[in-house]
Amino acid sequence: MLALRILLLGILLLVIPVIVGSLFAGVDKRMKKLPFLWISGQMLLWAGFQVITVPLILKQERFTLVVQIYLAYMAVLVAAALVFCVIRKKRGGASLRPVDNRPGARKKGYYAAWAVFWGLLIFQLVQALRLAYADGDDAFYVAVATVTEESDTMYIKSAYTGGTTTLDARYGLAPFPIWIAFLARVTGIRTASVAHMAAPPILIAMTYGIYYLLGNRLLVKNKERLPLFLIFTELLVLFGDYSIYTAERFMIERSRQGKAALASIVIPLLILLLFLLLEKLQENKKVPVSYWVLLLCTLTTACLCSTLGTLLTCMLIAVTGVCGAFCYKKWKFLFPLAACCLPCVVFSILYVLL
Amino acid sequence: MGDNIWESILYKWQVSNDFFQYYMGTGLIVIWYLAATIYLLVTEKRKPVRILFVYVPLILLLIFFNPLITLVIYHYVDTEIYYRILWLLPMTAVIAFATVEIYGKLKEKKRTVFAVVTALLVMVSGSFVYRDPLFGKAENAYHVPQSVVDICDAIEVEGREVMAVFPVELISYVRQYSPVVCMPYGREITVERWNYTTENALFDAMEAEVIDAELLSRLAREATCAYIILPEGKEIDGNLSDYDYETFGQVEGYMIYKDSTVDLEIILE
Repeated sequence: MLALRILLLGILLLVIPVIVGSLFAGVDKRMKKLPFLWISGQMLLWAGFQVITVPLILKQERFTLVVQIYLAYMAVLVAAALVFCVIRKKRGGASLRPVDNRPGARKKGYYAAWAVFWGLLIFQLVQALRLAYADGDDAFYVAVATVTEESDTMYIKSAYTGGTTTLDARYGLAPFPIWIAFLARVTGIRTASVAHMAAPPILIAMTYGIYYLLGNRLLVKNKERLPLFLIFTELLVLFGDYSIYTAERFMIERSRQGKAALASIVIPLLILLLFLLLEKLQENKKVPVSYWVLLLCTLTTACLCSTLGTLLTCMLIAVTGVCGAFCYKKWKFLFPLAACCLPCVVFSILYVLL
Repeated sequence: MGDNIWESILYKWQVSNDFFQYYMGTGLIVIWYLAATIYLLVTEKRKPVRILFVYVPLILLLIFFNPLITLVIYHYVDTEIYYRILWLLPMTAVIAFATVEIYGKLKEKKRTVFAVVTALLVMVSGSFVYRDPLFGKAENAYHVPQSVVDICDAIEVEGREVMAVFPVELISYVRQYSPVVCMPYGREITVERWNYTTENALFDAMEAEVIDAELLSRLAREATCAYIILPEGKEIDGNLSDYDYETFGQVEGYMIYKDSTVDLEIILE
């Protein structure tokens, strides 16, 4: 029974996002890699979760309704992605298989470096399962998920005590814990286990997936150095406890919390997406619609993670947009770029109003 | 009026400055980050890299230290999370990328030495995340103390919620594990800045060096607590059983007392 539940969790967190991510295969030919499909698919799923859940929270609807609508949303996306794959295959396009473009001439050191990277990654994933981190904020975020799953209500029972309470917009507009509750409800695994054992390894792996993709673009002509780039990334994360505020520390210690997902997944992914945008501006290439959709989803996911996510991501988009416009003397791309910030603007307005 | 605004701006700038210093911690990694940024400014030719790794972070830092922007942000968000603007600086990616770029420019023989030395520098400059004293071996699949699991399993009643008062070291975990075990106060009471600490008589009675059995049982009953959980060996002045809190069980170093005047099997609508 437990094995079946873990399998279901794996399907929800790995298989479905990869299938859904195939909808973004056209974002960039150079990005047709398994981690990109996985992460972009998860962004589309998370964005949908935010759009479905927040109105239901504000209406004080039952959690079961969120589960039902979100499952339907997932099913529609999976079906759409499969149809998309079939059509693409008939046209002779690329399949879901990742493109292997590692350098032809491979030295021993190259493989050794990859082995070190995987060793360090596995170490972190095992530590996420083996070690418990006593973070005080879990008393709220994990308890919200636990209470939601059990009581079928959202944010109207005090996570701390169990008494009734009124909705706090700061939390209700960024319902990442409700996503944890969703995983628990669908798989039947206890919410505390989903939050502490299932979410951290997945989110940590996702972070390195983003760094892998970013490294691929940064080291486009020197891909043999990619494993070294990733090893240094890992070292900087592993030794990132030099202050209690660092994103690296949040990633390892609080990976089940939305703010950690914002710091270690959404922001690095935005940097990757902005890098792709700037490359297209540089190469005078057309930016595909799927790119803008993915950017929109990533920014909506920022809202799911943290109310501050709305402000931070818009700040990054605005500064990069203006810099790009000045450097390339191109302005048109600013319109779709600004349009992608709309969800953040809407959720910020709601935050101020509520 | 004018003086107040300037004072406020100066104060906000000071707060930004403080947050930056807190974020820097020992400071060495941030120094490597600044050095890496300068290296990329000088050597990197590709515009996308220059924009994202040099220009954008510099502008973000100007925003972070701009007291006028601080004023606006402080107006809408919690001041304590202002430092999170610094999450937008791609420190990890910039340091790793600059290191790999330098590595690539070295001769074959020097490369390994450089990589090893740089790795050691990172390790010495930072602090190993798993050395944090708040990390501990997980006692179960829920990552909460086993005592919490055993106590909650012992006091849970099917079909209803139960109110129980726990010692302060357990309150953060109880409702992560069991949503049906309610508490008269939760983790918020431990956070000094929320000013609850001195206002809750039951909390004071629970955490007193010597428990006053009469006072604790009276306050617990007022808070409708069916159970009182106390550390085993906690000194008690009087007997809780004299006030109808009978010993219910002994779990993982904790004593569970149950209010014998309450019938928990009666399912409330």
